[in-house]
Amino acid sequence: MVTDKGYIGYNGARHLATGRAPQHIQNLVIRDYCRRHDLPFKLSASEYAMPHCYMMLEKLVEEIGQHDGIVMYSMFMLPARATRRRALYRRILGAGASLHAAVEDLALATDTDLTRWEDILRVQALVANTTPVFEE
Amino acid sequence: MDRLPAEVPDSAAPFFDPAELALTREFLNAGYVLRPAADRAALDRIRDYLAASAARHLDLPAPTDAGAFLNNIHQQVDGARLNDLRLAVFHDINAQDWLRPAYFATARDSVQTLIGNELAMQKRINLSVQMPDDDKSVLPVHADVWSGDSAFEAVLWVPFVDVFASKSMFIASPAKNAEIVTRFKDFNGRSAEDLYREVEASLTFLEIPYGHVLVFNQNLMHGNRVNREAETRWSMNCRFKSVLSPYADKKLGEFFEPITLRAMTRIGMDFALPDDFTE
Repeated sequence: MVTDKGYIGYNGARHLATGRAPQHIQNLVIRDYCRRHDLPFKLSASEYAMPHCYMMLEKLVEEIGQHDGIVMYSMFMLPARATRRRALYRRILGAGASLHAAVEDLALATDTDLTRWEDILRVQALVANTTPVFEE
Repeated sequence: MDRLPAEVPDSAAPFFDPAELALTREFLNAGYVLRPAADRAALDRIRDYLAASAARHLDLPAPTDAGAFLNNIHQQVDGARLNDLRLAVFHDINAQDWLRPAYFATARDSVQTLIGNELAMQKRINLSVQMPDDDKSVLPVHADVWSGDSAFEAVLWVPFVDVFASKSMFIASPAKNAEIVTRFKDFNGRSAEDLYREVEASLTFLEIPYGHVLVFNQNLMHGNRVNREAETRWSMNCRFKSVLSPYADKKLGEFFEPITLRAMTRIGMDFALPDDFTE
């Protein structure tokens, strides 16, 4: 849903499962996603760099009533712990807002989206714990 | 060759049913398999949508013969407008929720036998349109694994018209590919065209009538040349891999998505040992 509240971007400085991108590149990707999906874009917020810190994301979710949704650079910026992620989803969807992942070109706006979204995150966590065997 | 070619060991063969074993050995020996589409209705649905979408983009009436319309699209569009057409149709058909299940259905059994029954599938299915004498759509000789794909991926390549000779794609044999890889450093300072000339005589241009699908090993050199036939080629390609096999630059989420997670994987992902004990 789009109102006049608009969508807030969310970028960060930490390494992700998909690698690292400078923040100005993250913002380009977020803005391009918003343009392609006709989402009015507001400024981006930057997460603190400390590992496992989600204070900026928590702030955006606390203020979700002021936004139509949050457009993250990547879904892999979400907390690693599934219960913590689900709590965030509930608060965002419960407020009638949506969560978007620009790199993955995915939106989480309904409960149906949630399974698709979580399948990717949980399989990535499994794969990350699997040591590939290659010949030197 | 500095390593043995992949093969099914005799000790593992009894675990495959005969048809699976034959398909697996054919794939390992040739680097590809060609089979009739497992779901012809799904294949026809995709072809008909491609034709209708192209007609809409060109402000033409809906075609009554999708195959003939696609084969002769060069009579409706020139080279300068081809990429706009290709992109419009690509975005249109990839926006259809039914596309990926239908595409998978055209080769479900072959893909599951060769790759696994728990799969990740490319999120957007690529579209190629090769008009006669168009030199802007050439894909030089390459292996996907050389440019960021995981060695665990295979490609399901589906033509929507009959393809043959230069209207088709070419692929190197596993033996020739292995020979080139062992002396790849000889090509230092030379071009991909030099590489093509080196392997040209050993390449196979695949002849695939409409109604058949191709699964090939993208670790092998492949590509296409300028289409010198009188008809336009329309094909789509999509990568599949075992969902828990290693990924390279094409990541989960942005490029791949799990499509057939099985019950025990879902159960395992949700499992956590009780952790309420204290010393």
